Amino acid sequence: MMNRQAMHGVDNREKREWVIEGRDLRKRYGHGCSYCDTLTRVEQGNRCAACGSITACAGITFALARGEILGIVGESGSGKSTLMQLVNLALPADSGELWYREPNETGAERAPVNLLTLDKYARRTFRNQRLGIVYQRPELGLNMNFSVGGNVAEKLLLADWRHVGRIRERTSELMRLTELPTERIDDAPRMFSGGMLQRVQIAKALSSNPAVLLLDEVTSGLDLSVQARVLDLIRHIQWELKMTMLLVSHDLGVIKQLAGRTIVMKAGYIVEQGLTDQILEDPQHPYTQLLVSSAL
Amino acid sequence: MSQDALGQLLHDLTTATGSGEPSVIMEQETRGGRELLYNFAFIDEDSKREVRRKLLKGVALPGHLVPFASRDLPIARGWGTGGLQVTLALVEPRDVIKVIDQGDDDSVNAVNLRRLIQKTTGIPFTTDTTEATIIQSRHRIPEETLRDDQILILQVPMADPLRWVEPNIERATEMHAEADYGHMWVYMYESVVRSGDMNIASEYPVIVENRYMMDTTPIPRYDVARLHMAETLYLFGAGREKRVYAVPPYTHIAPLEFEDYPFTTEHDPTKRCDKCGANDTYLTSHFVESSTLESAGRWAYLCSDTSYCQKRTHARVEVSPI
Repeated sequence: MMNRQAMHGVDNREKREWVIEGRDLRKRYGHGCSYCDTLTRVEQGNRCAACGSITACAGITFALARGEILGIVGESGSGKSTLMQLVNLALPADSGELWYREPNETGAERAPVNLLTLDKYARRTFRNQRLGIVYQRPELGLNMNFSVGGNVAEKLLLADWRHVGRIRERTSELMRLTELPTERIDDAPRMFSGGMLQRVQIAKALSSNPAVLLLDEVTSGLDLSVQARVLDLIRHIQWELKMTMLLVSHDLGVIKQLAGRTIVMKAGYIVEQGLTDQILEDPQHPYTQLLVSSAL
Repeated sequence: MSQDALGQLLHDLTTATGSGEPSVIMEQETRGGRELLYNFAFIDEDSKREVRRKLLKGVALPGHLVPFASRDLPIARGWGTGGLQVTLALVEPRDVIKVIDQGDDDSVNAVNLRRLIQKTTGIPFTTDTTEATIIQSRHRIPEETLRDDQILILQVPMADPLRWVEPNIERATEMHAEADYGHMWVYMYESVVRSGDMNIASEYPVIVENRYMMDTTPIPRYDVARLHMAETLYLFGAGREKRVYAVPPYTHIAPLEFEDYPFTTEHDPTKRCDKCGANDTYLTSHFVESSTLESAGRWAYLCSDTSYCQKRTHARVEVSPI
């Protein structure tokens, strides 16, 4: 017999095993002032009229479940990339908690860790071993002075791989997975097209078998056919590896194709979150309604 | 304070500056080695103290680059000012100094540095490694095993090994702080992929005590392995880059290497020194032209460490039958 929640299609994420959970995350650019603290509603905007500080994330709470793709959508300046950088531990949060939980080898769960309490060294280690990120601009994610193989190998080397032969084998394997020509393993990134560079970034991000893959506007700036191939690749990887992904995009089409659940952000606030279909078909917040209608 | 006591204090300060013992100063003055126009060891005492403080920090954190206020000296930047400042900050009247450049005691740079130190300190010099208490060197560690009561000071042209992969100093400092050496490992990986071997002849990067990546200065790979668990205190000074760092005695030094491409030195036991016959030293090669038209000449090898080579040559002459 179906339970009541399932019958009504209610989001049952509370029962799913979460990997990353953000609680009341805040990030402000600028010194801040007492007036900043009075900005508590999305209607007030995120720029303080008194001191000019920008509140990029204002009390963001979310949970990323194992094996799901969580989409974050919003206009430019809504704080979605800042949220991504907070999860990537590349930016320090002003306050809040960011919990990470992973099962150990025996399948029993370890105690969750608040990532924001880690020191810089532990953060970097965590970022290298548990997170993979793909940026909109390849030059942010790749070192253009190294070969494509060298870029993909970097995370393996950081994970103490010290056998050149085995590193090259693994690099070739990842290049095949991301549909890159393995014979070009030693070519410089500047010899690759934009779509290929995105796939190189994905190969690099996957090299350390990350627990979470962060995708920041991965298809922006690519033409439609290349965009479709990259999206197919991401969908394929998610299907094959059951990878947990956090996907940031301003394109509702991309979110619709990939994300199971979606967060809508505006001026540093989450204005709506839920199942992607639900949000696209029956948006509740006026901003989401505007976003959906403008996309159609 | 009475007038007599003040006068005595002033007298003590002016006569005992930098040495602590008037008898030593007298000895130097009579020997005529030191020009009293300069402060003992040229640099003022506050600057010496600054260098010594930074050196202590360097010793406490082996392999960590410590910034210091590099002073102007009467030699050009890039000609050993870093090593010289370290030497001048540490030297005492009791010390015996040896200065070498490329293993050679008599090269122009070594002689110039030695003269400067001699003029400003008046301390004795030696070319014998075993007699020296402080050895300033560029490009080589002396062949003879150094003791724990000796200090080897190396002149450093480029202090940061990450400079090749990260030109931004601020970013490189952050990478050191977080032990983020991925780029350097990729650099090594790429050199293996391109050339089939690690194509770094000198300034070979090492990991000190499993923590900091350190540049070994332009010493050859042959000398890199000798830093590991050595008894001596190694101090590195980069005047132009304003950095000092240290390898204290009995420090773990691991050169960057791969399992299938292990670290190797240039040592070739089939080659021998033309003068002393040694095949267990670091040799430099030079081409000897033939005096006849029939032969094409040959490559000859000589010990890089000239003082060690001379010692061995004399020993051979003494024991060989006439």
